[in-house]
Amino acid sequence: MTELTAPNVVASSTRSDRRRKILQNLLRGERPYMLYIAFVILLVVFSLSSPWFLSVDNFLNIGRQTTLVSIIAVGMTFIIIARQIDLSVASTLALSGMAAALAMSQINNSWIVGAVAGLGTGALVGLINGILTTQLSIPSFLVTLGSLSMARGLAMMVTNTKPVIITNETYFAIFGEGTFLGMPVPIAWTLAAMVVGILLLHYNVFGRRIYAVGGNPTAALYSGINTKRITTAAFVLTGTLAGLAALVLSARSHAARPDVVQGMELDVIAAVILGGCSLFGGRGYILGTLFGSLIIGTLNNGLVLLGVSSPMQLVIKGAIIVAAVAFTKR
Amino acid sequence: MKPILRQALPLTVLMAAAAVATVPSARAEVPATCVKGVNLATLGPKSIVGQGPHGEKAASPEVLALSEADVAKIKEKNFKVGISMQTVNLDWSQLQIQGITDTLKKYGVTVTGVASAEYQVDKQIADIENTIQQHPDGIISIPVDFTATAPTYKKIAKAGIKLVLMDSIPTGLKHPEEYATMVSADSQGNGQIAAQILASCMPQGGTIGLVNFGVDYFSTNERTKGVREWMKANRPDIKMKQVDFTDPPKVSQIAGDFLTGNPDVKGLYAVWDQPALDTLSSMRAQGIDIPMTTVDLGLQSAIEIAKGGPLKATGSQRPYDQGVAEAMAMMNALLGKETPGWVGVQSLPVTQANVLESYKTVFKKDPPAELTDACNKAKPACN
Repeated sequence: MTELTAPNVVASSTRSDRRRKILQNLLRGERPYMLYIAFVILLVVFSLSSPWFLSVDNFLNIGRQTTLVSIIAVGMTFIIIARQIDLSVASTLALSGMAAALAMSQINNSWIVGAVAGLGTGALVGLINGILTTQLSIPSFLVTLGSLSMARGLAMMVTNTKPVIITNETYFAIFGEGTFLGMPVPIAWTLAAMVVGILLLHYNVFGRRIYAVGGNPTAALYSGINTKRITTAAFVLTGTLAGLAALVLSARSHAARPDVVQGMELDVIAAVILGGCSLFGGRGYILGTLFGSLIIGTLNNGLVLLGVSSPMQLVIKGAIIVAAVAFTKR
Repeated sequence: MKPILRQALPLTVLMAAAAVATVPSARAEVPATCVKGVNLATLGPKSIVGQGPHGEKAASPEVLALSEADVAKIKEKNFKVGISMQTVNLDWSQLQIQGITDTLKKYGVTVTGVASAEYQVDKQIADIENTIQQHPDGIISIPVDFTATAPTYKKIAKAGIKLVLMDSIPTGLKHPEEYATMVSADSQGNGQIAAQILASCMPQGGTIGLVNFGVDYFSTNERTKGVREWMKANRPDIKMKQVDFTDPPKVSQIAGDFLTGNPDVKGLYAVWDQPALDTLSSMRAQGIDIPMTTVDLGLQSAIEIAKGGPLKATGSQRPYDQGVAEAMAMMNALLGKETPGWVGVQSLPVTQANVLESYKTVFKKDPPAELTDACNKAKPACN
């Protein structure tokens, strides 16, 4: 909570005090600012190394490529602030995509039906995760480890592991291939998820309760907060966002496949932690998460542009992520 | 609001950059003659061009035919066979399994189960060890990795169980002591088909990009080798660039970045159909429209070929027929008959002109409505 509210403290001071404190924060390695600095360093390094990096088209590439991780990471931020974890998000995405595609193929090829089915399936998986975690007091790590397997298995079972083709052009335009205010719709969906996340987390009583539950669950309970309901809501939000990511992915690839994005939950968690969230709960913010995701996406992009071999990319990416977290945690 | 506004400052810069962006300019330089100049009757090799993993010459599936006496013996013995796959999530895998099970069932051989390793070496090792514990008479399998799984595959022969392999041979396994046969498509031949059609779309001196599997794997190596060698022999003017992936789910990102970093690339080859579809998804997002060819045929890739979009053609395997050959090889082995080290199955060129017919050939069933609809919209180019 302290780090989250650091800018608030600054805001109440005079302008010169604010500048001084920002500088102090920078020198002390305050996480929010160091995150931006790490991002800018990456931009500078890649811009100097590759003639193709610094272009609008390439930034759009990075934006599109980080869409899935960014959207789900918004929900994961709530989960981790609430001192929980959700390992099932990638499987939830796969299952939601299959539900959307199957619903469209069965009911008039309607994109609305597909969207409702995809989002609804994600929300349902989140609700089940939340209820099992809070009502049966099973650690969310175990609950979502189980649902990771069950959701993926269900996604494979419903079509005997075959992909489901999508043919609705409106669906493609709305979720995958169209543009909104000049930007590709996947990026617009990412920004929409982020804005909703910021409003819920920073401007809503729900957000304050999430911090309270994650910061000190016992104190939150004695303060009259229904901690179970708040925690469950965080899981539902994350599941719904996994459903939204499923719509984006299936619209981009013109099909839903049960084997997509396996292991993506680790990228999502990495983005959230890199963005300043504490795995011990009670601390984190949405903008940090977005930049955590962008750092990972920029690394992926820049290393390919430089022609770095695939195994070496993994080594460099891992080292930079660990270094970035260590640096910003000082 | 102020703290949030301050937090939002970097985002605002990012959004401004995105807002000024328009849809990226399309790279659309596909020659009008693309693919049309290719004669299907003369397309692709007419016999197996590749060699087996140990330099063997290909044997035809016909050599595996059984006599009536053989069939009677098979039916009498009530043999059991287990299957260990690398994954079951591909049309390719499903058709292989279908070809094997249909054929074995016809001769009264029981399939004890199908294990799917999900591309994980440790899971495949466990799958094979568990299958050995079921004491089947034979195991048909495709190795996830031909080095790490080799010691486990050697246990199969030691347990007195016959082994038939698909597509690759684990390191150090000896024929015929440790495996009866390896059955695969003519991967080099399929690569040649992909190269020949892609070349027909390329201007003189153009550059193509190879989206290649960066893991040392026999069949995928052979495909890309087929492309490279065909280009060098027939279109030396074409320059080739390559990007490797090791993690299939990352292809969309890697291929998209490769295209950004190599704007001179005017044609693409992807090593199998799913990476081709993932590359296509990136191309759509970036507004790039350049021709692409690949190897293998699935429903979605068939639809893309039928539409007449960037995916122009594929050199297809015949996975059902390969499954039939594997089952026949297994029954030969169970009868104690000598089987060849490598059985090769002829490649099949698939373009917009023959995609419906090819679907029937590969999948052994009529095309689904999605494919026929796509073809109807693209008539007369799509038959």
